[in-house]
Amino acid sequence: MASTSFFLSNQTIRSTILPPCNATFRRPLSISATCATSQRTCSSNISTEYAPKQGSLYEVLGIQMGASCQEIKTAYRRLARCLHPDVASNSGDEFMRVHAAYATLSDPEKRATYDMELFHRRRPTVMSARGYSRRSRNWESDQCW
Amino acid sequence: MAEQAYTVASDSETTGEERSSSTVPEIAIGIDIGTSQCSVAVWSGSQVELLRNTRNQKLMKSYVTFKDEVPAGGVSNQLAHEYEMLSGAAIFNMKRLIGRVDTDPVVHASKSLPFLVQTLDIGVRPFIAALVKNMWRSTTPEEVLAIFLVELRVMAEMQLKRPIRNVVLTIPVSFSRFQLTRIERACAMAGLHVLRLMPEPTAVALLYAQQQQQNVHENMGSGSEKIALIFNMGAGFCDTAITATAGGVSQIRSLAGSTLGGEDILQNTMRHLIPNMDSYFSRHGINEIEKMGLLRVATQDAIHKLSTQPSVEIDVDLGNGRKIYKVLNRKEFEEVNQNVFEKCASLINQCLSDAKIEVADVNDVILVGGCSNIPMIRNMVTGICKKDVYSGMNPLEAAVRGAALEGAVASGVNDPFGSLDLLTIQTTPLSIGIRADGNNLVPVIPKNTTMPARKDVFFTTVHDNQAEALIIVYEGDEEAVEKNHLLGYFKIMGIPPASKGVPEINVCMDIDASNSLRVFAGVIMPGEQNPSAPFMEIRMPTVDDGHGWCAEALNRTYGSTLDLVTVQKKVQH
Repeated sequence: MASTSFFLSNQTIRSTILPPCNATFRRPLSISATCATSQRTCSSNISTEYAPKQGSLYEVLGIQMGASCQEIKTAYRRLARCLHPDVASNSGDEFMRVHAAYATLSDPEKRATYDMELFHRRRPTVMSARGYSRRSRNWESDQCW
Repeated sequence: MAEQAYTVASDSETTGEERSSSTVPEIAIGIDIGTSQCSVAVWSGSQVELLRNTRNQKLMKSYVTFKDEVPAGGVSNQLAHEYEMLSGAAIFNMKRLIGRVDTDPVVHASKSLPFLVQTLDIGVRPFIAALVKNMWRSTTPEEVLAIFLVELRVMAEMQLKRPIRNVVLTIPVSFSRFQLTRIERACAMAGLHVLRLMPEPTAVALLYAQQQQQNVHENMGSGSEKIALIFNMGAGFCDTAITATAGGVSQIRSLAGSTLGGEDILQNTMRHLIPNMDSYFSRHGINEIEKMGLLRVATQDAIHKLSTQPSVEIDVDLGNGRKIYKVLNRKEFEEVNQNVFEKCASLINQCLSDAKIEVADVNDVILVGGCSNIPMIRNMVTGICKKDVYSGMNPLEAAVRGAALEGAVASGVNDPFGSLDLLTIQTTPLSIGIRADGNNLVPVIPKNTTMPARKDVFFTTVHDNQAEALIIVYEGDEEAVEKNHLLGYFKIMGIPPASKGVPEINVCMDIDASNSLRVFAGVIMPGEQNPSAPFMEIRMPTVDDGHGWCAEALNRTYGSTLDLVTVQKKVQH
């Protein structure tokens, strides 16, 4: 309840108090030299990254399947800075999806299991007809990459 | 139930106020209410500054004295001598008492304090009273805290020359959600609105993240990740956290806390000096209170001296021919408090293992809080981590500085130099679950789950044709339910007749962006798409003050007739 009112107040501030030139200064799009680059990437990626709601965990984090541990962490932080409800005034659902993807991919064991599953999903012909139809939606979205 | 009415009222009040607001954006102040000392800090526009009271103190003693008609707290009141605080007229250690029932061991340990803590041991709130003109006048920890917070607010308003409403408060890791509601209530009584309640080590972690951000001028995210272990021990609580920091993002990996602090070290040492202390002082007469004050001051003084010298002389005259004279050396002091140090060590080890971090991976060891001066604590922490202590922080100011940073960040303040480009990814300090599989706590949201979070677990009935099921929600990490904090309870009704083990009872818990907890529960029969009856949604905690006996009463009334067992765990995304 506490933060909800914070977001409310934030919106009020943006719309009524600050002069218009400051409107873009709100987090997470603050203009600071050190993070301008990544933030631009971030805002432009949101729409594409979140289009496939059932995409693979790699898609959720916007990384390649062979990404290194460091790349996974970096991608997670970059997305957290855009989607965490503390900065983005949202419900937190998107951040939870990102975190779930990160939690699986940053754990070597869970990642191996997941990769295996993904590998089988991409070869639907070996699946039984029933399994194929059940998983077809995931399979389609996996085609994206 | 009363709590919900309060919550709703405060929400609507806030909304209305902020809609009509036309003043400049308010920067929330950070408050660290310690068990023994308190401090306030605020983002000044370029850095965090600690506020001082009229006597130029940055750290103020946390107490309220009821000596005169108008109660006075440690912010404005000037003590003639420390004994005055121990005369029975002053209430202190309220952070240790808030939101606890009279069966709680922490409440029992408070019975040797000079003011009155009376317990009836039935699970209701303890009777707390200050000695005013030879009478015990009752009060509550919330009231005492509120009086103190009003003084802090007035002090901050005078210095900042603006009204203060929004605050970020630091809290111990081991606080239950019920205790958080009591802190929020005390703030509401003091005219303050809580923006965030931050576990103390996570406030320290945020300060650390900012320092790292300033040190490393690298691109966000590409800066190397630093792992810090934070150990914070004050008078009332001991907290540990592991944080992974990079690019101003502090990701809390694990938290562990306990109600272990300087107060326990003090009491252990006092008991060492007078083994029959509890019976000696149990009468709580004016004479005993005075003697207890003398012993307390002398022992506290000795402990402080033992931080810098190998031995100390303790000489107290308790009257009636009873004198205490002892030379206490550091080794003896450490032996007396062996159990405290061991528990601290186990918290650190638990935190490391929960975070799946090896000691060798820890980049910095941060030691803060009043007890960080005790050589044994320092040796224990550096011994486990095999590393010197991080030197970039004032151990007594780190938490409040972190809270002030969070206050600025949460108020939407921007810093052109990027000093406030910070984010803390918090985790749950305690597991939240329900009573199932007999008398066990089955976690639905386990400890150290990143927030916001939503998880669900499936349960089923234990009796054939069981039509109802009791959902009792607890918070904590003890296997036996009664050792955890009760948050609330409700009943699922209308389970269709079926053999035991057939109905699927789904219990889902959701912690949203504002850290409020909702529990959803309902029954779905196998093969059916829709729930058999409307799902229940309950905002927790629902319990009120005298809740200690509730679980027992439920158990007595229903036994195991409405029990559940776990079916399978599955995470919902």
